[in-house]
Amino acid sequence: MGKSVFVRIYTSLLVLVGALIVVFIIMNVLPGDPALMMLDPAESTPEMIATMRHQLGLDRPFYVRFAEYFVNLLHGDFGNSMVNSDPVLPKIIKHFPATLALTAMSSAIAVVIGIVLGVLSALHRNKPIDLLARLIGLFGISMPTFWSGILLILIFSVQLGWLPAMGSTGFKSLIMPSLTLGLVGAGFIVRMVRTSMLDVINESFIVTLRSKGLSERVIMYQHALRNALIPAITMIGMIVGEMLAGTVVIETVFSRQGIGRIIADAIMAKDLPVVQGVVFFSAVVYIIVNLLVDLSYSFIDPRVRRAS
Amino acid sequence: MERKMKKAGKASWWKYGAVTLAAIIALTGCSSAASNKEGNSNSPAKAAETSAPVQGGELSYALATSPVSLDPHTNGLAVGVRIINNLYDNLVVQLPDGTVKPWLAKEWTISEDGLTYTFKLRDDVKFHDGTPFNAEAVKFNFDRVIDPATKVSNAFALIQPYQSSKVIDEYTVEVKLASPSQAFLRNIAQGTLGIVSPTAAKKYGEQFATHPVGSGPFKFVKWDENSEIVIERNPDYKWANETAVNQGAPYLDKITFKIVPEEATRIGSVQSGQVLAAETVPPQNIVSIKNDSKFQLLSTNTGGLPYTLFINERKQPWNELKARQALQSAIDVTSIVKSLYLGTYEQSWSPLAPVTLGYDASLENGIKKDLDKANSLLDELGWTKGADGIREKDGKKLTLHYVDASPNREKRNDIAAIIQQQLKEIGVDVKVDITKDYVNQIFVNDDYDIYGNSQVNADPNSLYPFYHTAAPTGRPTLHGYSNAELDKLLEDGAVEKDEAKRVEIYKQVQHHIIDNALIIPIYVFPYTIAASNRVQDIKLDALAYPRFNDTYLTK
Repeated sequence: MGKSVFVRIYTSLLVLVGALIVVFIIMNVLPGDPALMMLDPAESTPEMIATMRHQLGLDRPFYVRFAEYFVNLLHGDFGNSMVNSDPVLPKIIKHFPATLALTAMSSAIAVVIGIVLGVLSALHRNKPIDLLARLIGLFGISMPTFWSGILLILIFSVQLGWLPAMGSTGFKSLIMPSLTLGLVGAGFIVRMVRTSMLDVINESFIVTLRSKGLSERVIMYQHALRNALIPAITMIGMIVGEMLAGTVVIETVFSRQGIGRIIADAIMAKDLPVVQGVVFFSAVVYIIVNLLVDLSYSFIDPRVRRAS
Repeated sequence: MERKMKKAGKASWWKYGAVTLAAIIALTGCSSAASNKEGNSNSPAKAAETSAPVQGGELSYALATSPVSLDPHTNGLAVGVRIINNLYDNLVVQLPDGTVKPWLAKEWTISEDGLTYTFKLRDDVKFHDGTPFNAEAVKFNFDRVIDPATKVSNAFALIQPYQSSKVIDEYTVEVKLASPSQAFLRNIAQGTLGIVSPTAAKKYGEQFATHPVGSGPFKFVKWDENSEIVIERNPDYKWANETAVNQGAPYLDKITFKIVPEEATRIGSVQSGQVLAAETVPPQNIVSIKNDSKFQLLSTNTGGLPYTLFINERKQPWNELKARQALQSAIDVTSIVKSLYLGTYEQSWSPLAPVTLGYDASLENGIKKDLDKANSLLDELGWTKGADGIREKDGKKLTLHYVDASPNREKRNDIAAIIQQQLKEIGVDVKVDITKDYVNQIFVNDDYDIYGNSQVNADPNSLYPFYHTAAPTGRPTLHGYSNAELDKLLEDGAVEKDEAKRVEIYKQVQHHIIDNALIIPIYVFPYTIAASNRVQDIKLDALAYPRFNDTYLTK
C-alpha cells in the first residue's frame, strides 16, 4: 500500500513536468507575439518591437527559455508576468482560493445531486421520478455553462433580485456560479450512477441476498449502492477536473476573481509565465484529487485493498 | 461537456448565442413599457431639474475590459483612459467643439514658425503625494514619454513631433517641436498624455502602472485584479477645467470600477441594482434600457477614424481603381449597419468621424448600392463569370482575402460574413479569415486584401499615419496607396494655422480617399452607458470618455 502511494506520487511528478513541457511548446508554436500584443501595432516602429522582444527575452531560443524557467521553478520562482511584470506566484496564491471554493462547491453539488438522482432513478425505473432525473441529467450535460449562467442571472438577479449577478465576495455570490457548473457534473454522475446501479441490481448476488430474505432497503442501500458507487467514484475524480476547467468560463460569465479568469486573459495576451503557473497549480490539484480517489477505492472495495 | 462543445463547433455557439439573445430580449423587454425617454444625449433628460448636487456616496461602474496599466504614458487601451482621466490632469483641455482651452496651463503662446510653445502654468496645483506641480514636472513628463526606458505605448505617437522642453522659471515651460503641428495641442489634451507626479514615477519605476499618482479629481485607492479598481475623492482639488460646472472637489466620495467582461452580466448587474452604471451596452439592450423608466442611457459618438475597411492595393486586382469601385458599389453598408446594430450605430460615410474637425457631411449618402455598376466595372476589367458564378480572368478566380481579428469586437466578424454573401452576388469569392494573430498577418506578412480598423482620436491629423505614404511609424499603410497629391494635402493639413483653410484641406483629403475607393467606411462607434436614474450628470467629453467632476447620486 505504502509502495503504491509512492509510485503514484512519482508518476504524478512526471505528469506535472510533462504538462509544463506541453504548455510551453504549445504557447511557442501558437501564432502571435507577446511583444506585438503589448504595443499598439499601428503606432509602433520595428525598433520598438525589437526592444520589447529583447526586454521580454523572446529573442532567445525556446529550449533555453524552458531550461531557465524550469531551474527557476525548482527554486520556487514562477517568474513575472510579461504584461505587467507582476510576480506570478503571489498572483496565483491570491486568486486560487476563490477558484478552489468554486470548484469544491460545484463538485459537492454535482456529487450530491448526481448520486441522489442517480439512485432514485434506478430504483424507480421508468417512473416519473426517473424521467425527471434523466431530464435534469440531460439538461446539465447539454446546456453550455455560458448560456445557463446567463439564464440564471436573468432570473435570480435581474427579475427576482435575490442573488448578485457578479463578484466573488461572500457566500451568496458563490451560489449561482457553483450551481451552473455543478449541474453539468451532476448530469454526468446521474447517468453513471443510474446505469451502474441497474447493472448491480441485476447481478446474481442481489438475487442471493433477496432469497436470504433481507429487506429491500438493506439490499439496495447497503449492498447495491456500495457496489454501484465504485465506477461513480472514478468519475468524481474526473468531475473535479472538469469543474476546475469549467471555472475558466464561469469566472468570466459571473465576473469572479480566480485563476480560471487569469489563465483566460493570459492566453489571450500570450503571457507565458502566468499560463505556466496556473497550469502547474491546476495540474497539482488534479493529481492530488485523483490520488485521493485511487486511495479511497481501497476503503470501499476490499478487493483493491487485498490486491495491494 | 467541454469536449462536447468543441465537437459541436462554431455553428452551435451561434445557435446558443441566438437563443440567448432571444431570451434576453424577452426577459428584459417585459420589465416595463413606461416612459419613452430621450436617451441619445450627453446628460440625462430628467437630471437635476429640481435637485441640487449632493455630496457623498459611491458610484459603482462596470467596465467591459480591464486596463493593463494606470500609468498614462504606458497605457495603450481606451479602457485605461477611462480611469486615468480621473487620476490625472492635462496641460490643456479639448472642448466637444474642437477648441482647446486652458487647464494646468493658464495660457500659452506659439512662435511664428510653430516650433516653440511657451506654457504659463497654474501655481496652485499639487499632486496627490504632495509634490508641487511646476515647469520641472512638465519637462519630466514629456521627456519621460520619449524616453525608450519608459516602455511607452500610444503616448509616444501622440507627442510627436516633440523634441525637448526647457524650464524658463518655476511656472513657465518652453516646449520645442521638430516640425510644426496643428494637432499638438489637441494631442496633449488626451488622457494618455496626462501629467504624472515626478516623485512617484521615479519612486515606483515600472510599478507606477499599479501605483498611479497624479493631480486629478480622484485619488487611487486600490486595484484588485480582475475584480475592481477603487478611486476616492481628492478633497484638495480646485483646478478643474471649464468643461466642469463644479470647479472644486468632486461630489462622489468614491468610484468603484468593476470589471465585468460578459455583456449580459454587465447589463444584468445594472438592472439588478448591483452596480449603478455599466459601459458598452449591446445594441439589443440599448432599446430596452431606453424604454425602462428606472434607467437611463448615455451615448456619444467617438471621434477620429470610424470603423473602416482598408483595401490592400499591394494585391491584384485591387490596385485597379475599377476593381475597388466595384467593391464600393456592391457592399451595402446601410443594410449591414441596420441589421447588425438595430439602428443604434450610425453609418459612416467618410474616413473621419462626424464629430471630428473638418468632417465633410457632403459625403453622406454619396455611395449607393449599385450591383449593375459593380458588375460592369468588373466586366470592363476582363473578369468574367464562370460556371460556379465566380469571376475568372486568365484562369485565375477572383478571390478576396478578408482578414478580421478575434474576439468578435462590436460584431465585426459578422460584418465580414455579410460582406462575403454580398460580394458573391457580383462573382467575388470572399475568403474570411478570423484570427487572433492579425498583427503578424497584417503588419508583418502583408497577407490580406481587406482589413478593418478604427482609432479614437481628437484631430483630423489622425488621418496622417493611416493615409500618408511615409507614416511616421515607418510601417507601410494598411491600403498601400501612394499619391503625391494626397501626401501634400496631409502635410499641409498638419501645419495650416487658419482653421477654415484647414477644414477645406481635410475635405479634399476625404474626397480623395472616397473617390479613389481606398476604403469602405462602415460605422461610427458610440460609447454607451446604462445607468440607474439615481446617477446624475456623468458627462462624456470631446473623445466620448466619461467625466465625473459633476456627478452625484440622488436617493
